[in-house]
Amino acid sequence: MINVSFYLRRLHSLCGLVLLGGVLIEHLLTNASAMGGPEVFNNGLAMMEQIPQPIFLGIEICLYAVPILFHGIYGVYIAMQAKNNPSEYGYSRNWKFALQRWTAWYLVAFLIWHVGYLRIYTKGIMGEHISYALVQSTLANPVVFALYAIGMFAAIFHFCNGITTFCMTWGITKGPRSQCVVDKGAMGLCVLMCLFTLAFMSSYFM
Amino acid sequence: MAEQKKTVKFIIERQDSPTSKPYTQEFEIPYRPALNVVASLMEIQKNPVTTDGKKVAPVVWECNCLEKVCGACMMVINGRARQACCALIDELEQPIRLQPARTFPVIRDLLIDRSVMFESLKRVQAWVEVDGSWEVKDAPIQNPYTATTAYEISHCMTCGCCLEACPNVGPQSDFIGASPSVQAYLFNLHPLGKFDKEKRLEALMGKGGITSCGNSQNCVEVCPKNIKLTTYLAQLNRDVNKQALKNIFNK
Repeated sequence: MINVSFYLRRLHSLCGLVLLGGVLIEHLLTNASAMGGPEVFNNGLAMMEQIPQPIFLGIEICLYAVPILFHGIYGVYIAMQAKNNPSEYGYSRNWKFALQRWTAWYLVAFLIWHVGYLRIYTKGIMGEHISYALVQSTLANPVVFALYAIGMFAAIFHFCNGITTFCMTWGITKGPRSQCVVDKGAMGLCVLMCLFTLAFMSSYFM
Repeated sequence: MAEQKKTVKFIIERQDSPTSKPYTQEFEIPYRPALNVVASLMEIQKNPVTTDGKKVAPVVWECNCLEKVCGACMMVINGRARQACCALIDELEQPIRLQPARTFPVIRDLLIDRSVMFESLKRVQAWVEVDGSWEVKDAPIQNPYTATTAYEISHCMTCGCCLEACPNVGPQSDFIGASPSVQAYLFNLHPLGKFDKEKRLEALMGKGGITSCGNSQNCVEVCPKNIKLTTYLAQLNRDVNKQALKNIFNK
């Protein structure tokens, strides 16, 4: 038997945690360098541009575009199979189940805007270099700042809650105690990552 | 204070046929100590008159054992899936809202068709192929270390609470739900049933099998028999992952 949906589901889980988790952490680290000031941030970007164009594009397609599209499209299919009911069954895990799907919907819209505007329009079509000044001017609009902050928090929660459910799905944490420990650790990580994000995002205006 | 408890108010969601539109009706019955929802429905059946004095068709529902063993009277009481026979009026907030478990097709009023669970049990082969019979001394023995687990899971009465509470089970999805999935584990523990372990795991790996579980963990919260459903689902996740590796590398 082939069991396509089994392998797709497991691939969706693995792809989300490992590849997209990696994308998220890379974004956090790269953007955190803005806390060191314009030179540090721009030097970091210049370093990345040292990578030859075809290799860089290959990395972008294989490690960013394809995993995001697969996880996003299959994720929409999964989210549509759920009828969220935390108002009837208000348990912590059920709220997180619903939040996992609500953050996903936000991220679909947010990523279309973020990738579409910054990567495809600004960098791709207009040929502009991403720089400290560009990010600063983009985030200077309070609405954009808020949408970006929510986008980051959504991605961070989705990733951290994903750690907990990944451990259940792969049968790593079996009993309620181990599941609870991982859940608490992941939520702790979620708070730390959100605070860290807020720190580097506001560093542009300090 | 005692004055307030003289009657019990119900808001019941009714539906005349599987395809007709649901509507609600209110009923009020005299209070008596230790009254439960099934006894209240029987009271309404005796005199099916709504609070505004209209004589209506008696409310249809299902019940059998009246002691939380058969699972037949599962319905949604004040928004939660549970057994009507052990839902004590004294412990419920009034007016008490009764609804059918809409994860399943509604036949009439609170009566639902739960045959989908039976189909799922057939799908995961929730039985043991009997291979002859034995004298007691010759019979294959239960593993004493897993016997308590098997006993716990065998309490499952296929009531469907876990399916009703699960956000991933319903007309919008093909997930078979916690109860039938965990039954596969019960029969995998059996000294004879374990020979068909692979077949059960294969069935769980199919579309709508255990992979459709979204870890909302409502099932374990609502299970009236306190079966540790999420623990056994995680064990089955381990088992199907191992089976997948076997499928990939053993051929």
